[in-house]
Amino acid sequence: MKYLLGMAMLLIVATVAAQDSLRFIAVPAGSYVVGAKNFPLNPKRTVPLAAFRIAVTEVTNAQFAAFVQATGYVTDAQRRHNAMVFEPGLKEFRWLEDSTAYWEYPNGVSRGDISAKMDHPVTCISFADAQAYCNWSGCRLPTLDEWEVAARAGSDTRYFWGGDRDAITAYANVWLGHDHLSADTADGYMYTAPVAHFKPNPWGLYDVYGNVFEFCEGRTALDKPNSTQAHARGGSWWCSKNSCSFFNSVDIGNIHRHASFSNLGFRVVKAN
Amino acid sequence: MKFLFLGLLSLLPFRTLLAQEYPMPSKESMAYHEARFRKSIPPYGLAKVKEMIAKIQPDADEAEALSSRDYLSLSLREKFTYHMIHPETYAQNCDAVPPVMDENKKIFSRIPSSFGDFIWSKRQADFLVENKDSVCALIKESALRSKRIGCNYKEAILEMNAVEMIPFLVDFYNRDKKDLDLLTVFLQLMEQNKYEPFMKSASWKKLYSENASYEAYLDYNSANEALILQRVTDFYKNYKR
Repeated sequence: MKYLLGMAMLLIVATVAAQDSLRFIAVPAGSYVVGAKNFPLNPKRTVPLAAFRIAVTEVTNAQFAAFVQATGYVTDAQRRHNAMVFEPGLKEFRWLEDSTAYWEYPNGVSRGDISAKMDHPVTCISFADAQAYCNWSGCRLPTLDEWEVAARAGSDTRYFWGGDRDAITAYANVWLGHDHLSADTADGYMYTAPVAHFKPNPWGLYDVYGNVFEFCEGRTALDKPNSTQAHARGGSWWCSKNSCSFFNSVDIGNIHRHASFSNLGFRVVKAN
Repeated sequence: MKFLFLGLLSLLPFRTLLAQEYPMPSKESMAYHEARFRKSIPPYGLAKVKEMIAKIQPDADEAEALSSRDYLSLSLREKFTYHMIHPETYAQNCDAVPPVMDENKKIFSRIPSSFGDFIWSKRQADFLVENKDSVCALIKESALRSKRIGCNYKEAILEMNAVEMIPFLVDFYNRDKKDLDLLTVFLQLMEQNKYEPFMKSASWKKLYSENASYEAYLDYNSANEALILQRVTDFYKNYKR
């Protein structure tokens, strides 16, 4: 009994610690314009939203480690040994399957662990893994609309600063090379960067574009009725102007719900 | 790129959405979109390969690969069929491609991906490259029989950098000049081989330069068509094997 109580206390302490290390901003209830004209995947429309709080930063390796330590959770990549990793030299949109990769070794054992990257966003986790973290932490993933409203920070343009794509370098860790045949560290990072390293959006959210694609709940207008696809938004360190370029407030990506890539992560929200 | 849009158009809510927010593509454009995403299904050992896939993929929801033993037991032709109908790994996020108006009048910079959330694994891509001559022969044989070249065949041609297929593809295109993605294959072959006259052209700048959009396209007209066919023929003649 004492042992059980001790374990329960440990779990509670770890949960509180993980949540304490996340800062949130409040988004008031209201009607918000999302989407873009002539874009059926995410058409321009007004959506009503209840108040919510969204994390200022993406969930980090340290925060995910607290979850794993408290629960013993085993990720999809650890069970299935099918994570997808990146190294320079690959053709566009090509990744390597690496049976050794999981969140502690997001690009495989041969490419190093996260011990010096505990303040980087957790990656190599699947949509299902992100949901497990949320269940444990008392949070949830943002809906597609919540994510977009927070990313837009009141703007009605493709980027929260306007329409000039080249301004991305101040705000986001993205791929600045023309292709992925050689490494790109022009912004200081080839893979992930520490969260909150680049400038925030006007509401104080960091890395809404770039760093990692962020899993969201919900369905797009184009999802099949029985689709089990997950969605992620905001682009990632892999995304370049020429390939993907999803580092904006409009695009929505599709991903298998059990796929684990080293450019996929998440941030969380709470009801107000 | 990469997922079927036409089927979704039949959904009532989306139709309503389109009517409100987006002009409906024409019937021709929608039919062309469907055709672009249609795969070629090779006949070689198809029943056997399907049966083997069914055993590894009971819920059809996961990326699954044949065991090495089963994989190695397949003949070359059966492996070809397996690869053309069953990609083994996950494709990365950011695959969604919005529908476009007048799709049947556009020569895109890239062909659509064939398998949605999935993609060929390394061993599958390696197989294609290592067996290029045989795979090219099978694609030709299958294409001549079915009178079409599916998006998976086009993807394989690009994966193998099968420049030697160009004369066949030019002839195939000229039969009815309806599959504009064959022109895209030519563009991509010239681009991935850095064919200098193409790299210096206005077309390259519009389609592949630093500021080009991933969804960039050329208008389909006789001048652009003739230019692409001439360029790719010159490229083939000057290609150093």
